[in-house]
Parts: sequence; structure tokens; C-alpha cells
Amino acid sequence: MDGKQEILRATGVTKVFGEGERAVRAVDGVDLAVHAGELVLIMGPSGSGKTTLLTIIGGLLRPTSGSVFIDGTEITALGEKDLTALRRRAVGFIFQSFNLWESLSVVENVELALNIAGRHGRFARDRARELLTARGLGHRLRFRARDLSGGEKQRVSIARALANDPELILADEPTANLDSKHGREVMHLLRDIARSDGRAVIVVSHDQRLREVADRTLWLEDGRIADMGRVVRDPVCGMSIEADSAVALEHNGLVYHFCSRGCSWEFQAEQAKRVAAGHAVGQGGDR
Amino acid sequence: MVPVARRNLFAEKGRFAISVAGVALAVLLILTVLALYRGWSRAGEVFEQLPGELWAVQQGTSDPFHSVSLIEPPDIERVSGIDGVQAVVPVLSRQMNFAPGGDEQSVRLMALDFGGFPASPDIQERFLPPQGQVVIDETLSRKTGLDEGDSLNISGVELTVAHVGPRGGDVLSQFAFVNFEDARAIFGVAGIVNYGMVVLDEGAQAGAVEAAIVDGHPDLQVYTGKEFAESVRKEIDESFIPVIAILVAIGFVVGAAVVGLTIYTATIERTREFGVMKAVGGSPGFLYRIVLSQSVMLTSAGFVVGVGGALLVARLAARAVPEFATDFQARDLGAVLAATLAMAVLASFVPVRRINSIDPAIVFRA
Repeated sequence: MDGKQEILRATGVTKVFGEGERAVRAVDGVDLAVHAGELVLIMGPSGSGKTTLLTIIGGLLRPTSGSVFIDGTEITALGEKDLTALRRRAVGFIFQSFNLWESLSVVENVELALNIAGRHGRFARDRARELLTARGLGHRLRFRARDLSGGEKQRVSIARALANDPELILADEPTANLDSKHGREVMHLLRDIARSDGRAVIVVSHDQRLREVADRTLWLEDGRIADMGRVVRDPVCGMSIEADSAVALEHNGLVYHFCSRGCSWEFQAEQAKRVAAGHAVGQGGDR
Repeated sequence: MVPVARRNLFAEKGRFAISVAGVALAVLLILTVLALYRGWSRAGEVFEQLPGELWAVQQGTSDPFHSVSLIEPPDIERVSGIDGVQAVVPVLSRQMNFAPGGDEQSVRLMALDFGGFPASPDIQERFLPPQGQVVIDETLSRKTGLDEGDSLNISGVELTVAHVGPRGGDVLSQFAFVNFEDARAIFGVAGIVNYGMVVLDEGAQAGAVEAAIVDGHPDLQVYTGKEFAESVRKEIDESFIPVIAILVAIGFVVGAAVVGLTIYTATIERTREFGVMKAVGGSPGFLYRIVLSQSVMLTSAGFVVGVGGALLVARLAARAVPEFATDFQARDLGAVLAATLAMAVLASFVPVRRINSIDPAIVFRA
């Protein structure tokens, strides 16, 4: 991955619940590597093991076999105390149901995460304010968490996940309880966290829209993982399409993907008109 | 530091108020019972307030209330002649009935014959009224409605209330002090007295004088003032302490149960939130501190309200029942505070176990 630092590596991760005939293989030999600046989406049917995998990666559940490394530290070999300490500094969690501390104010929700990591006083308060203001919640700092809208709650949850500057962000169905507008907002926040902040982001979701911002999409079924390829947007009709099966066209050093030949012809005709009129061309393609 | 414990408690103000009230009631019960015991334990203090170091009584006298002591005048004279004895004050004392306003009341009449022995103005005012007068205490005054200047008749002797003293320690039977001559007329005795109050010379050894009094006179027995007072308290201690112990235990259990249930319920309700704290790296110690802080805040608030309530109840109850004599002592307040803190720690035990068992992976369950 372009020489970027590997933040997460999971090797042969298996989780079996129960014993004997009742044993269920929730995760089955999963290998996964995620780098800094990368947003990886894991999709799959309900009960496929997505959340179990996320829980193992986050150090909240021990696998039956296999190993997980976060920034070079094998978390599957750590004792409970060290694992807790590692979660505190290296992993940020974003949840489907937000999981905010309802009795606390917005700013206290983020500040408490800093307190837990041993950061107190003015530093913690200022950092919490800064993270929330950057996510458009500067006017809601004193509000009770329970009084916020779903979108606002998820933004607080994201700010809290970033409080201790972790390298790895794990998000479980982050758009599931949000309407279309707020879901899209969260999608772009997650993309920014990966691309601009250079963190590794793993998202587990059923939401197909997230494929638009994901660098990679993996399919998990029966505990096993497979690469689903990349989703791109047709620059003509705006449709989301699989890059591997789309009509591809190279133009001015960029690769464009289209849902059909019709769209690619339309694109070419439009570019020709623009060249004739002396306008810039070639937006929305891949190098 | 975010005050999580306080926020959690105040998030449910109604429940917090009910829980504080529960602890306050427990504190009120414990404190009131203890104060009542302390108040009643002042019984017999008159024997420590009078100037006699020793009390010569008839052999076999268990205490001033339950046995009669009769001493012949020659015995008093003999004791007066013992080395180290400055004076022996003859004392008459007996439980008497009288009917002020038609309602029969009982009082412990006491009379001291100081003779030529000098008494301080305070002793004079409290214990040595002139002939035809009586000194009563506040409790008897409120029970009978008698006040300064009122008259009463005891066994045909007319007496006027000379002075109403402060509330005495003897709540079951109040002392009233009359002149020695009036007491003789009321009791119908000529030479016999009940006790000899022995005042020692300065520097005299009480033990040596006591030995000299009983030496060769098996019909006499000697108590120190403190022992005589304690013989009165013994009855209260023996009957009161087991009752107090049970009431205090009930108060403690009720208080601990209220705090425990409140904190446990608050913990159960916030299982997911505690799970999130664990997930984001909250150590067990961090979570325990939150639970313990909640308990301590709850019990502290309950303690403050309970102390205020106990003082108020004692005041109101004393108005309604004159015998409701309470004495709030700092050591009892300290003990009850320690007990409430113990309640907090005990009440945290179960919720802490619950927190221990929370699986942080719960956070990923929708």
C-alpha cells in the first residue's frame, strides 16, 4: 500500500463459540492488513461474523486462534491490563447506537475519554472542545447527550473516538441509525479521518453507500473474508458501480468508469465540446 | 475530571431524593436512639453533682431507687468522727406520690441537712430550698404544669415551687428537693435518715475513709458518688442497650440496603455505559471509584439530612413528651458518620461485582 505504515494485521483469526456439535465458527481464518490512511469496509449478511471480527480486532474479545497486531504489538498476546491500556491509546470506537454517556454533556463525553487515558484539567477540556467544534458541534457543547439528534450524537461519538489520537478507528454500522443526509455526513467524516488524518479506519456495515468512500470493500460470509473490489461513481449519470466490471476509459492520464457504453460515449462527446470551447477537462477520474 | 458519579446520581433526581431520604431516615433512627440513650444515661447524675465524695448507706442497698436504706443517727455521728471526714450530710430520699391538679404524679423527694457545713450559692439554689419550698426540674414542671410560685401538697405538707431547674438526667422519675425539716414531716420519720453524704477533707484518701467507715460495722456500706450514680444507670444500661443495639442494627441494614439498591439499580441501568468505559480503556479501579463515589455522595447527603432531621425530631418530640430527653454527642455523630461511610462501602460491593462481570463487547450489541 504505497509504503504506508501497516496499522493492523490479523493472521488466521478464528473464533469458535460453543463446543462439540453446538460449536459455531463465527470467524474462520481471517487474514487482514490495514494501513494508515486506508478506509476498509467490511460487508456481509447478518450473522456473518462482522461484528465478532471487529470485536476481536478491537481487543474486546480473544480469538480462539490466530493473532492480531496493532501497530506492531501483538494484542492477542497481551494480558488484560496491557490490553486495556492499549485500547485506551491506540483504538477508537464508533458504534451503531452511539453509546454516549447520557448523563454527561457533549463536551464531557469527549473529556471523559481523555480522563480515562489519564489526561485531565484544561488540556482535556480544550482538546474536547476543539474536536467537537471541528465537527460542527461548537454550539452544542453544554447540551446533554440525550438531547441531540442522531447525526449529532454520531459526530460526538466520532470526536470521542478521536480524543486520544488513536491510529486505528473501528466503526460498527455507523450510519445504520441515521437518515440519508446524516449518514452521508458521517461517511465523509470517516473518509476524512482516514485520508486527512492518516488513520486506519475499519467500518462494518450493511450500507452500500459507504462503498463510495471505502478504499477496499471486503465481503465476510460464514466467517470467511473475500475482496469485493472497489466502487466508483459514473461521472455522467452519477451511479455507483463496481470498478472491476464497469466500462473503463482512459482520458488525459485518468481512468474513468461508466455504467454503460452510452455513458462513456456521452462523456467523450462532452469532453470534445469542452476542448473546443477551451475549458478544463477531466474531473472525477482515477490516476 | 468529569464528575461522572455526580452526573449519574443527579440524572435521576427523583430517585436520588428518595434514596437520600431512605439513608436520612436510617441515620435519624440510629442517631435519635443513641441520643435518647445518652440522655437517659444521665440518670443518677445528681449523686455526682452533690459535693459528697462518698455515700454511706445501709448494708445491702443496691441503688437509690430499688432498695430502702435506713441509717441510725449514731452511725452518722460515728462516721463524722473518722479521720479525713470533713462532714457527713444526712440525706432523706423517697419516692412519693402527689396529685397536682388532680392527676397523680410520682416524684423522688430528696432533702439534705447541711447543718453548719457551708454550701455554695449554686448548691443552695438547686438542692437546699428554705422550709415550705420545693425545687423541681423542667421535666417535672412540664409533666405537672407546676411553675415557680405554684403550690403543691405532699402528704399534707404545703410547698411552693421556689425554682424550676434545668432538665435533669432522671427521666423515669424526677428529683424534687425540699427542706430537711419538710422531708421529716412528709416521710414521718424523726431520727432515721436514708444516707450519709460524706464530704472529705482536702487530700484525704477516699479508700482509707471507706475502709474506716465499714470497719467493724457490717450494717454499713459505702459507694463513691460515681458508683452510686452508676447503680442508677445500671438498670437503664441493662434494659436499654440490647434494644438500642437492635434498633441501630436495623437502621444500619435499612440504610445500607437503600444505598445498595439505589447504586445497584443505577449500575444495572448504566451497564452499557460502564461497558463503553471498559471498551475505551477504563480500568477496573476507575469504574470502582465511580460506584464508590456515588455511594459516598448518597450516604453523605443522607447523613446531613438525617442529622438535621434527628435534631428536629428530638426537639418536636421533647415538646410532646417531656421524658424525651436526648443528648447528641460528638462521638455519636462521628460513629454514625463512620457507619454511613461503612454503609457506602458495603453498598458498593454488589454493584462493583456487577461491573466486574460486564463484558465490554456488549458495546457492539445493537
